[in-house]
Amino acid sequence: MRRCPACTVQVEGDWIRCPLCGTSLVGEPVPGPYPAVPLRFSRRRVLRVLALTSLGVIVLSFVAQLLFGPDDDGIGALRSVWLGIATTWLVVVMAVSKRRNLAKFIVYLVVAAGGVCVYWDYLSGWDGWSLTFVVPIICAASIVGLLITARVIRMELGDYVVYSGLTVLLGLTPIVFMALGWVDTVIPSAICGGLSLVVVVLLLTVRGGAVRHELATRLHL
Amino acid sequence: MSRQVRRRHWVRLDNASNIFPATRRDADPKVFRMSAELDHEVDPGLLQEALDETYARFPLYHAVLRRGVFWYYLQDSELHPVVEEETLPSCAAIYQPDRRTLLFRVVHHHRRVSLEIFHALSDGTGALWFLTDLLAGYARRRFPEEAPPRSAAQAEARPGAAERPDPPLAAVGTHPGAQAAEEVHELTTDSFAHYFRRRRRTPEVQQDAHQEEFSREAAPAVLTVQEADEPPTEGAPLEASAPRAPRPARHRIHHVHGTRTPDHRTRIIELMMPARPVLGLAKAEGVALTMYLTALFFEAIRRSDSAAHGARSSHEGPTMAASVPVNLRQFFPSTSARNFFATIRVEHTYGHGDDSTGAVARGLQERFSAEATPEALEQKLQKLIRVERMPLARIVPRPVKDRLLSVINYANNRRLTVAISNLGRVTLPEPAESHVGRMLFHVSAVRPQFCAISHDGLLTLSFTAPFVQTDHVREYAALLTEAGIEVTVSAARVSEDELLEFGT
Repeated sequence: MRRCPACTVQVEGDWIRCPLCGTSLVGEPVPGPYPAVPLRFSRRRVLRVLALTSLGVIVLSFVAQLLFGPDDDGIGALRSVWLGIATTWLVVVMAVSKRRNLAKFIVYLVVAAGGVCVYWDYLSGWDGWSLTFVVPIICAASIVGLLITARVIRMELGDYVVYSGLTVLLGLTPIVFMALGWVDTVIPSAICGGLSLVVVVLLLTVRGGAVRHELATRLHL
Repeated sequence: MSRQVRRRHWVRLDNASNIFPATRRDADPKVFRMSAELDHEVDPGLLQEALDETYARFPLYHAVLRRGVFWYYLQDSELHPVVEEETLPSCAAIYQPDRRTLLFRVVHHHRRVSLEIFHALSDGTGALWFLTDLLAGYARRRFPEEAPPRSAAQAEARPGAAERPDPPLAAVGTHPGAQAAEEVHELTTDSFAHYFRRRRRTPEVQQDAHQEEFSREAAPAVLTVQEADEPPTEGAPLEASAPRAPRPARHRIHHVHGTRTPDHRTRIIELMMPARPVLGLAKAEGVALTMYLTALFFEAIRRSDSAAHGARSSHEGPTMAASVPVNLRQFFPSTSARNFFATIRVEHTYGHGDDSTGAVARGLQERFSAEATPEALEQKLQKLIRVERMPLARIVPRPVKDRLLSVINYANNRRLTVAISNLGRVTLPEPAESHVGRMLFHVSAVRPQFCAISHDGLLTLSFTAPFVQTDHVREYAALLTEAGIEVTVSAARVSEDELLEFGT
């Protein structure tokens, strides 16, 4: 019978590595009591195929919008439904694939939702509603959301500090919009920018050490 | 008997068993397996003959599970079980809605005979009866010269309920089904059946012995007991007087997480060891084996977890909770092969005093023995019966019941870290006893779990989990080997890597 030197146990069957610890086994194999039954399916592969197919369909949906001008008859309602479904789907796919890291998911969500709205705005003839309202509101909400999430699920500082930094940086972009005069109603951008600045200052003063440490870890060359 | 439209007998699935079809999932099909390892390659032909004989004697096992509007029910069938070479992962799903299949299967692989059962049909003790008869029948055929006189062979091996009557072997002949069942039926008209189900005994049931037998055998265990237990209450204090175990302060229960197996199959790892030294360890600590093994399990999980998370869990020790089923037949004699167990929950919070395995085991034992008394269990039983007969519970449509039960089950699972089941030491009738080596059983699981059984001086702990990771088993084996116990590991391959390794 084979033997695992690390676990100091005998191992039945023709295992090459120990089923408990992965160490290479020594000794002669004996027949095992269980047949090796091939996988019926692999959940990981099923998920990957589903995710890739979904992404393909979503990207095609977005590209297909370019075929229709903003003034085509009845395209407005159709486009709303179509893009609404595609966007929801995109959010679901992201949520599933990033389910183990909520902080990261929030950053992805901000980028995806903001990007889709800007694109949508462009498709429907550019009124600037996305930059005026949607982007600042999403950014501000994500900063608050991330703070609450980190507290509720007791995330470790190192796990969320980078993503907080990213959401805050995104939150600063509305200030740029204001400066360039891209927005008519300044209140949402002002609130979002203000909130981001406050959080940036807090992050750098209260958690400065942790932020530097995390950045040094992740950006090391 | 004149030809008339055949009416199949049926019996309602009791409330306790309803939890199994309701909470069955791909990842946890609620199937358990009980195996015995012989000292030679299994002869499928003889095993089939033995199965035919045993099947005829267990009318309950003829049942298929069907769905009514309000309840699941077991219906008698004329299906015939066939012994198969093992080709599915252990504990693969048995019950599939709308497919009328038997609720058990018998498979063999090299030297192993395995009986797999959908948990709604029976529990560990019930399954052990069936497997014992199956092995006895097989061994008698395989080693006819060693078979002792019949009465001796049948006298033993009814763990948990010695009073279960057995038909004389001579009667169980070539005619599977009717004749054998009739024998059982005639036998049971004596004291036992009379005692348990007097009210149902009307003369007209004579016309179909098999059907009568089916409904009697398939009656929910709780009901058979209640009727038996009512007259001779020996001053058992019910309800109010029995003191309630003090409810401990609620802690956050520790849960084990991991990567699910690729195709939902159950991860199985057996640890086999000589029984005597382990018993010695438990005795040295002055606790029962089950509680000692449970305490080791807690310790193994704590170790594997602190290895994974570093110092994170250092400040406040985790609270671990285990559910331990008790066989109710030992307190309330019943011969029903149906589910008849109650679970007792024990827990321990680390970081408050002595955390050595012995101390933890003693703490668990204290709580366990407070609840494992006939009085405390009787209360549980009464509650079961009350729910069983509650009019409101009856008229809720079954799909809604299923949802409700899933929610209840989920809530219960949140309060558990692990589950443990120990069937104890098994003795088989000769000549099976001397040709069967280790025995084992395990059950599909949503959380780490192990089932213990010992036979032939060998204790087998069969660990199951829905995860690929084996850290807690590795730590468990380490705890045992550190104590100087020789451990042998057998595992079934679950992950792509493990199966690939096999291929090369």
